[in-house]
Amino acid sequence: MKQYKKLVIPYIGWLLLFTLLPMLMIALYAFTDGTGEGGAMMFSFTLSNFTKFFDPVFVKVLFKSFVLGVITTVICLALGYPVAYLISKCKERTQTLLILLITIPTWINMLIRTYAWISILGSNGIINNMLSAVNLPPATLLYTDFAVVLGMVYNFLPFMILPIHTALTKMDPSLNEAAMDLGATPLQTFWKVTFRLSLSGVLTGITMVFLPSISTFMIPKLLGGGQYALIGNFIEQQFIQIGDWSFGSAVSMILAVIVILMMAGVSKIEKYTGQDQEETHSDKKSKILN
Amino acid sequence: MKKLIQLKNLTKEYGGQVVLKGINLDIHENEFLTLLGPSGCGKTTTLRIIGGFEEKSGGDVLFDDVDISSLPPYKREINTVFQKYALFPHMNVFQNIAFGLNLKKIDHSIVEQKVTKTLKLVGLSGFEKRAIDQLSGGQQQRVAIARALINEPKVLLLDEPLGALDLKLRKEMQLELKKIQKEVGITFIYVTHDQEEALTMSDTIVIMNDGMIQQIGSPTDIYNEPENRFVAQFIGDSNIVEGVMLKDYLVKFDGQEFDCVDYGFDDNEEVDVVLRPEDLDIVELGQGKMSGEVETIIFKGVHYEITVRCENRHYLIHTTDYVEVGKKVDLNFYPEDIHVMYKMGTY
Amino acid sequence: MIKNRKFSTSLFVGLCLLFQYLPIIVMVIFSFNSAKSLSNFKGFSFYWYEELFKNNELMSAVFVSVSIAIIATLVSTILGTITAIGLSKSKKIVRQIVLQLNQLPILNPEIVTAISLMLFFAAFKVDKGYMTMLFAHIAFCTPFVITNVLPKVRRLDPNLSDAAMDLGATPFQALTKVILPQIKPAIFTGALLAFTMSFDDFIISYFVTGNGVQNISIAVYNMSKRINPSINALSAIVVFVILGVLALSYIVPAIVKKKTTSKVRKRTARIVIALSCLALVIGIAVRESNKPVLRVFNWGEYVDKSVIKAFEKEYDCKVVYETFDSNESMYTKYTGGNKYDILVPSDYMIERLIKEERIQKLDWSLITNRDSLDTSIMNQPFDPNNEYWAPYFYGNVGIVYDKTKVDEADLGQGFEILRNQKYKGNIYMYDSVRDSFTVALKALGYSMNSDNDAEIQEAYQWLANQKETMAPVYGGDEIIDSMKNSEKAMAIMYSGDAAAIMAENENMDFYLPTEGTNVWFDGFVITNECQEVTLAHEFINYMISDENALLNTLEVGYLTSNKHASAIAKEEDFEGNSAYGIRTDLTGNDEVFTYQDNALKEKYAILWTKIISQ
Repeated sequence: MKQYKKLVIPYIGWLLLFTLLPMLMIALYAFTDGTGEGGAMMFSFTLSNFTKFFDPVFVKVLFKSFVLGVITTVICLALGYPVAYLISKCKERTQTLLILLITIPTWINMLIRTYAWISILGSNGIINNMLSAVNLPPATLLYTDFAVVLGMVYNFLPFMILPIHTALTKMDPSLNEAAMDLGATPLQTFWKVTFRLSLSGVLTGITMVFLPSISTFMIPKLLGGGQYALIGNFIEQQFIQIGDWSFGSAVSMILAVIVILMMAGVSKIEKYTGQDQEETHSDKKSKILN
Repeated sequence: MKKLIQLKNLTKEYGGQVVLKGINLDIHENEFLTLLGPSGCGKTTTLRIIGGFEEKSGGDVLFDDVDISSLPPYKREINTVFQKYALFPHMNVFQNIAFGLNLKKIDHSIVEQKVTKTLKLVGLSGFEKRAIDQLSGGQQQRVAIARALINEPKVLLLDEPLGALDLKLRKEMQLELKKIQKEVGITFIYVTHDQEEALTMSDTIVIMNDGMIQQIGSPTDIYNEPENRFVAQFIGDSNIVEGVMLKDYLVKFDGQEFDCVDYGFDDNEEVDVVLRPEDLDIVELGQGKMSGEVETIIFKGVHYEITVRCENRHYLIHTTDYVEVGKKVDLNFYPEDIHVMYKMGTY
Repeated sequence: MIKNRKFSTSLFVGLCLLFQYLPIIVMVIFSFNSAKSLSNFKGFSFYWYEELFKNNELMSAVFVSVSIAIIATLVSTILGTITAIGLSKSKKIVRQIVLQLNQLPILNPEIVTAISLMLFFAAFKVDKGYMTMLFAHIAFCTPFVITNVLPKVRRLDPNLSDAAMDLGATPFQALTKVILPQIKPAIFTGALLAFTMSFDDFIISYFVTGNGVQNISIAVYNMSKRINPSINALSAIVVFVILGVLALSYIVPAIVKKKTTSKVRKRTARIVIALSCLALVIGIAVRESNKPVLRVFNWGEYVDKSVIKAFEKEYDCKVVYETFDSNESMYTKYTGGNKYDILVPSDYMIERLIKEERIQKLDWSLITNRDSLDTSIMNQPFDPNNEYWAPYFYGNVGIVYDKTKVDEADLGQGFEILRNQKYKGNIYMYDSVRDSFTVALKALGYSMNSDNDAEIQEAYQWLANQKETMAPVYGGDEIIDSMKNSEKAMAIMYSGDAAAIMAENENMDFYLPTEGTNVWFDGFVITNECQEVTLAHEFINYMISDENALLNTLEVGYLTSNKHASAIAKEEDFEGNSAYGIRTDLTGNDEVFTYQDNALKEKYAILWTKIISQ
């Protein structure tokens, strides 16, 4: 089994080339003040790109992005967990089918689906046409906070459901029986055993929803009527509209650092739930065996 | 002894397949009862119905004379030790054991006391803070038992709990389980396919096959008086011979007539005859009831295991005396060594 | 009770699925719409399906999307799986480092990954196209496979592979016969995720592609100016195909015996692999061609495609035609290492490209159709002697308004009408720094190119006040469709788009405020690195010929630089369309954008961010 160790080598090479090196180039821009005029490599070290960010305007943008991200994530979790749970209770074939059904919409271009929401929610859109058909007053749906959150939840929900479902199906059903056997009501069993043990999936889901939802810019742009200046928007603006690649890189790095710190916190929670210990222990075991 | 659990004509179907075909069984207070049988015989299903994890298809499950079949597991005064222990991986030893008590919102100091006491009972004092995956199989086993026992159930269900342990540990745990059962004084219902385990620990053994009970009895009864060929085959090594009961106290097999102690069969009824290997003696040619030639001899530590080829079949003999392979010998036995059973259909 | 629970279970899951499929159902319905609108169903027709199959650009985008998604999924699944298996056996330190690095593409905002890869390819002077896109997709898909597969591998009994090898299996056999079957579900999930990520990716693909290679997302994005329901037809087909395959895979195993299905499965696996190899070969081969190649980078939906085809035929060459959605994204891609021969930037961007010496002087002797050009729009301040540019389209920015909702008298207020409380909540602004500040600066009577701090501050106050009191919606190109659908009373609009709206909605009209507005010009320029200088001139000459300029202007709706063509268009298709004939006289208050340096650009951008986020 030691020979499998070598299997890592190609990907290490790949990572260095296609992940680390490009990231270092971003870092190079972030710590220098080249004009960034497309490859004009005139670099001198500076921290000004980072200090510049701590303007109340930008911090507010960051804050707003996080608030929207949190709201989206919470709603996705509240909707996605029950769905994943209910699906995991179905027969295996039904499960596969439902999981595929949930995945399929994500294969349709995100912009197209978002345009479809515009035509559903618009003031002359499908919902309002239906309302006026039954003589109800029109509702303002598009270009509201509601529309933005709806669009985000719509887009990212599958990415919450899938990992939770995986975690739930991986679980040994006799653990639930054991809890019930020891006197836990179904609710207690769910909370103290099922939920705790599916936390790894929940955390993956949160990551997969929260990260894109703080950096996306198309959905708020299209459904929110441009009322939202979010951090993804801001980075895009720096790189493309203004062309200040150094500042853009610095903001990306700040965002990446915050995100990585948050994820470190998340993996602490994961450790606390005992998921990680299991793995470290099997390491020890395999070491002894070797 | 008082009847604690009564199963009355219990049946179970899975999608048209009948796995329990009418189980009738009384389980008494303070009894160590073992459900023994090959895999697929329905023993685990029976256990899971008692535990409340499966719904019965028909019949009754009475606990203290009350029907409990609609009670969910968490409302039954029954706890289970699961096959692979089902310890919660996200909790340590203490949290696992205290799980049931904490649900009942019992005062923390009492919980602590009880956990310490129970850990002592299962021989794991000082393991409170260990993570589950830092325990060996035997230790996990003990935690699983402690976790169930701490709730002071009236009945403890054990589903092949020793299956994953090595032989030595298994023997140790067998004795220990018996000891624990004596100490806490509650009913144990134990499921296993290992006949030796069943014989060692049980007060009562229930032999099951194909969704039906074959025999209920004490270990000695089961061993000495198997009711049919299946039981005889399943428990211990035996020589099982087809024969005819000519009349009371006279049975004919292998072309000869023998005196026996059995009666109450129809005259000329076809029967199965059991001769336990340790009941057969090897004697000099001409001094026994049947002759043959020694074919193999294997040293088994305490005794030799010898096969003798006779005219109609091979006989298995356990004896402490050595005999040479190829030697012509006679086999001898006494009327009380012959055990006559009703013939059953398909074996 | 159980039945009840089952019912509420299916109800909940069903509602959730309905939520997921609602926009898709709408999309499918509108793919059969006979009109172009995405919100107003006029009648049933297959028109957009026909259009789709006629649209070579879209069809090749489909090919690129599908083939890249399949190959990237295949490669990243294999790479990710063997890496996960290797990682499970390697030292903790190695594993942790690899996993940390592996997290980067997952944790980073996509735009950062995109830019970093673009910089990377540019730094190594890699020619962008199919292969760069494929590599980028593999790079961001593999981490998802690893994070999915690794936990499963680590839960495996470490003795399994030993047992297999003990029984005579080679390490490879142990891997394929023992380990892989155990982790199959995780691999499947990983592959599914990889496919999803790859198939729908836009941002990363956009920045790492070149040479005319584009996937569906890029095609859609470039089309956003003129939403083309063909794309709905395409999505509908995708939905039907997937559902069909799903239905088959769900029904077939029930009919066919299991043994055969495993054979079938193996066979399908082989077919998929073979197909993707084929796709790869074709993908590479597409670029191979002996004909001279002209790489044109133009605005999205800014040409009649038939003109390009005719040019290719006539000059026996291949035109690699790519599109962009803003001057800035064009600039970023061009300076980020993508190679083009011809660009179509606007006024201030031409000024910048001249300043940065990125474009070469034109040889007007090769452009024989010069005489047809409207001379009144030549000799602009950004290129006073027309040394670098040949004009293509031009126009204004004005206000499109709904005659049934807007009081004609109020139009006298000029841009101030956008702060008239009567129209609160009923206006679209343009989600762009410069266009919005133009409105404010012009309303205040200043130059839209102002670098005066006080003026800029005042304009900022104007916009901030407008946002507070008027609740405007800041939109992009999608508001073109919304205005066709009478979504709001007024919108800031480019004249050509306004012309298109008015052609479809007779209630709409176009108004150019008297206090002055933006006059803009888009023109052809030839890059420094152009390999086919003569062909490039021939292309420009061809595009501005009377005949082709007319085709283009009729298709696009903007005013063409060819005076003969514009005269015909004004008399025929755009008769009475006030948005087609526009103001180009720069002696009054109208202006052309000038190039802003970074400091000024950033000053505006920060204020704009403030307004948006207030």
